Amino acid sequence: MTPHELDSDSLLARTRRHFFRDCGVGVGAMALSSLLARDACGAKERIDPLAPKKPHFPAKAKAVIYLFMAGAPSQLELFSPKPELNKLSGQKVPESFTKGKRFAFIKGDAKLLGSVRKFEKAGQCGMDISELLPHHKEVADELCWVRGMKTDVFNHGPAKCFINTGSPQFGRPSMGAWLTYGLGSECDSLPGFVVLQSGPRGPRGGASLYGSGFLPSVYQGVPFLKGPNPILDLAPPPKVSTKEQGEFVDAVNDLNKLRHDATGDPEIQTRIAAYEMAYRMQTSAPELMDLSKESKKTLESYGAVAGKPSFAANCVLARRLVQRGVRFIQLYHTDWDHHGGSLDLTKPLDSICKEVDQPCAALIKDLKQLGLLDSTIVVWGGEFGRTPMGESRETIGRDHHVDAFTMWLAGGGFKGGTLYGKTDEIGYNVTEQEVHVHDLQATILNQMGMDHTKLTFRFQGRDYRLTDVHGKVVKEILA
Amino acid sequence: MPLVRACLSAAALLALVLPAPAAEKVDYGRDIRPILSNHCFKCHGPAVQKAKLRLDDRAAAVNKGALVPGKHADSELLKRVLLADGDDGRMPPADVGARLTPDQVAKLKAWIEQGAEYAPHWAFVAPKRPTVPAGAHPIDAFIRARLEKDKLAPSKEADKAALIRRVTLDLTGLLPTPAEVDAFLKDDSPQAYEKVVDRLLTSPHYGERQARHWLDLARYADSNGYTIDGPRQIWAYRDWVIKALNDDMPFDQFTREQLAGDLLPNATTAQKVATGFHRNTSFNEEGGTDAEQFRVERTVDRANTTAAVWLGLTAGCAQCHDHKYDPVSQKDYYRLYAFFDSCDEPTMPIGGPPNLEDTIAKLNQMEFWLQKNGGSREDIAIIRDHIKRAQGKVPTTLVLRERKAPRQTFVQIRGDFLRKGDVVQPAYPTAISATSATQRLTRLDLAKWLTSAENPLTARVTVNREWQKFFGRGLVETENDFGLQGSFPTHPELLDWLAVEFREGAWSTKRLHKLIVTSATYKQSSAARRDLTERDPRNFLLGRQTRLRLEAEIIRDVSLSASGLLNPKLGGAGVFPPQPKEVFLFTQSNHPWAESKGPDRYRRGMYTYIWRQSQHPLLTTFDASDAQVACTKRNRSNTPLQALHLANDPVFVEFATALGTRIEAEGPKDDAGKIAFAFRVCLSREPTTQEAQRVLAYLDAKRKADAKTAWQAVARVLMNLDEFITRE
Repeated sequence: MTPHELDSDSLLARTRRHFFRDCGVGVGAMALSSLLARDACGAKERIDPLAPKKPHFPAKAKAVIYLFMAGAPSQLELFSPKPELNKLSGQKVPESFTKGKRFAFIKGDAKLLGSVRKFEKAGQCGMDISELLPHHKEVADELCWVRGMKTDVFNHGPAKCFINTGSPQFGRPSMGAWLTYGLGSECDSLPGFVVLQSGPRGPRGGASLYGSGFLPSVYQGVPFLKGPNPILDLAPPPKVSTKEQGEFVDAVNDLNKLRHDATGDPEIQTRIAAYEMAYRMQTSAPELMDLSKESKKTLESYGAVAGKPSFAANCVLARRLVQRGVRFIQLYHTDWDHHGGSLDLTKPLDSICKEVDQPCAALIKDLKQLGLLDSTIVVWGGEFGRTPMGESRETIGRDHHVDAFTMWLAGGGFKGGTLYGKTDEIGYNVTEQEVHVHDLQATILNQMGMDHTKLTFRFQGRDYRLTDVHGKVVKEILA
Repeated sequence: MPLVRACLSAAALLALVLPAPAAEKVDYGRDIRPILSNHCFKCHGPAVQKAKLRLDDRAAAVNKGALVPGKHADSELLKRVLLADGDDGRMPPADVGARLTPDQVAKLKAWIEQGAEYAPHWAFVAPKRPTVPAGAHPIDAFIRARLEKDKLAPSKEADKAALIRRVTLDLTGLLPTPAEVDAFLKDDSPQAYEKVVDRLLTSPHYGERQARHWLDLARYADSNGYTIDGPRQIWAYRDWVIKALNDDMPFDQFTREQLAGDLLPNATTAQKVATGFHRNTSFNEEGGTDAEQFRVERTVDRANTTAAVWLGLTAGCAQCHDHKYDPVSQKDYYRLYAFFDSCDEPTMPIGGPPNLEDTIAKLNQMEFWLQKNGGSREDIAIIRDHIKRAQGKVPTTLVLRERKAPRQTFVQIRGDFLRKGDVVQPAYPTAISATSATQRLTRLDLAKWLTSAENPLTARVTVNREWQKFFGRGLVETENDFGLQGSFPTHPELLDWLAVEFREGAWSTKRLHKLIVTSATYKQSSAARRDLTERDPRNFLLGRQTRLRLEAEIIRDVSLSASGLLNPKLGGAGVFPPQPKEVFLFTQSNHPWAESKGPDRYRRGMYTYIWRQSQHPLLTTFDASDAQVACTKRNRSNTPLQALHLANDPVFVEFATALGTRIEAEGPKDDAGKIAFAFRVCLSREPTTQEAQRVLAYLDAKRKADAKTAWQAVARVLMNLDEFITRE
């Protein structure tokens, strides 16, 4: 027979199979069941690898907005008042704390550094929030406060990599890639995983932080640039109008269809779908980026200005992306690396807190009033915390601290107003309710309807997963 | 979990797709071990023995009555798997996994009836040359014998145009010129194809194409990785690989020089350059790092890479604990690690004054010292500047050098370099080597052992990866795992025959390539066939060829070929073709990207400067290796961002514009002739009537808008076709 005889139904079926097989989800029971389910309802199907897939179990949340505070904010200035530390400020740290510990810059004789920031108990929950984050106080009861975070690695690159990919070595898939791989995306005109950036420089570690590792590249985070055309090569070449671009895509796809008839290769169907989606992106992405359609009131609540890139504008974009069905949105804001010297815990900390405080709170309120907070997980935090000891530099600052830091989560079935985790009197170690990075990852996946032990990909003879061989779902912080 | 694993296991899948004919003897490795390994060993295996039962050891299993050879009805194993779902004693227990399928049970039954014999893992037994079935070409003889078993016919030979495009792309990564295609079409002699193959094998571009594959394994990049990702000079190593492959350096020598060139007697500069293979590890320049921690990470990477590239083993699994599936203990791992634990990592000038290397080494030491002792950023910058200037005098490259006094190597408890366990000496993995050393083994010993006749893995793993280049998949699908969890070869005899043929054929890669590309199996059409689609949908039996999307760099290369802009220069420092400046917005450092002007703008994709953490968007968009760890196989994804890149990226628009001009200048006068010319340039074939009509309609529409750019628009369409970026 000739491939021309392949009827379109069997072709479509084969194309779908082809996806599930070669795009990693394999012939796993999960993929198969969702395939069958969608077949049964007969809905118009997407044949691209980002087509939505069923979770392992009913999900609380559909999307994640991860506000990554790159460089590591000081929990001791923001969320963790320590009167004892203030009392001991300037004294040598008791050896019992530092014995066997390794630090990036400070030495064993480092002196404790109290915080000059004032704290207040906010909301019904009574969370301690610093004067630096007044807007956070307004939403204190919406946020689930994890004060006993712990990580494994104390240099920026490896630690960022660890919290994003579950491994301190570069090259593994990131959480956004895992979730897009497992769940696909509801949106057929934008990437499933979008990365936004603000602040003076990009996050250390670059593309590996939102990479797809050994998963197919369609699951990697797509960095959105500033301006109306956020995706590289989104705009047609100069002098090619949208209409002409449409004619170009038609010509390419018609010729591709002819080749498909000749070869019967389902990969060509995928290519055709990819050109169609790329064409849709050309309209949908600039529309997404155009904040002028947002009300003045909304923009003001975030502190955003249309056409002016900022963390605040990125928060508005994050909400817009969620509204369009994008699965995972990650915002990087630099630079929180307050060692002292040029970047210290005085004015530089004041200004970066100002940059993020209002937009974060506005995002929570906005999602809530739109009814989206229940189905959206918002994550806030850095790659580690900062030491109770100061550094011996010209101005005050703290070193990297892996043993205790604070993050918050909101929406998506996380219990607002929860205070989880306690640290000792100087904020050095977690004394109660420790949450390790792998636990956090397992919990976020759980709220997205994914069992972190089952979301796996076979590579180099082993089923890899985001949480390696660790992680437990922290049930206590879930509603 | 076990169900998912079973489904995902390529071995199990293969067994499902290709059931062994019923009369055939059950093969423990192919049929039984995957069942036991996926469903039983976790609780009754080498690591855990619930109810004191282990099923990985025949004597133990027989002793406990789990197996009664010859009597399946008496075997507890079979009784248990057959129990009802509700029964507590069913294996695997309901909370652990689903019940075995009837096919699996039937296999266990047959196996027990046939004596329940265990066999050592196939890949750990040195290959012997099997008898070749009757046939003209040994490869075809093996492939056809297997197809016949399933009563499937091979596909007809691809037409000549497809063939020359395929083999030219596979061997050189460039398009055949229309003249080369014409000459081949006109040549009716029986040697016509072989002549083309011989020409391609001697092309200098052969070495480039093959080198890029090897550089994936070598995790080659032009920068240090981690967060700062500073620049490094190591392109001399990349050029060494190109030259070695063009010279058809025997693979055993290729191995020795890269792993231990510095230890060869009277090592030449080139042999030292070759040790750059293991200097391609990432290097952390971040402030406040512990130098020893990252030296250990580099050493771990060297051990893992060596195991992956030569042995096809996932040794890295044993870094923290004994391997869960393969007989690689944690001690074995650190014995392998020990080979690389005593290397210094100098920067070697290529030429220049004799003391230059020492100067650079001293400056490097100062930089380390400053970093370790909290030197100011300014001081470090000054030192770096000095290093830069010293290195700027002549080209330098990164090499390995053995320390005079070896370091003592310890097992690292749970993979933590701060927790030292037993002292170990360099040694080969015990499961695949019986050799016991009388004196301390060196990297050179390791390199020699890897390519020795007793080594069961290297030749197999290598020919399998070479096969993958030409068929998109190895005979062992898990090209990176020849261990117990890896898949069983689709054609075990062919794999062994190729392995022995490669080794005994003086380890000649060109000879191996010629053998493969002259087989009828390789030359088949890649078009879908209904019978194959139904009975062998994944084409395991190779009843046809496979259409393969070209790799990132090759997409650039074919576009350069078609546009006529290609600068064919070989080697040299990395170049900077245009890329959007936004690439560095998402990384810590704003790296220099001094856009290449003139001929360097049109170099092949493999010469684009590789900033490890912010690679050129073409590379990341089209699944190039990430240069973090050895990449044994690239993904071939198919995404909207790829469409955007090919359609709109200024580089590709520039190529399309040049192709448009070329069509007008070099094509015949009439439109139909020009369209045919464009097809010949891009696709090495004539258009069909329908295709020509469609292009003509587009051309006419474009002409109405702007006659001057109409052919450029047509060129852009052709360069965006799936077929253009596919090897059919």
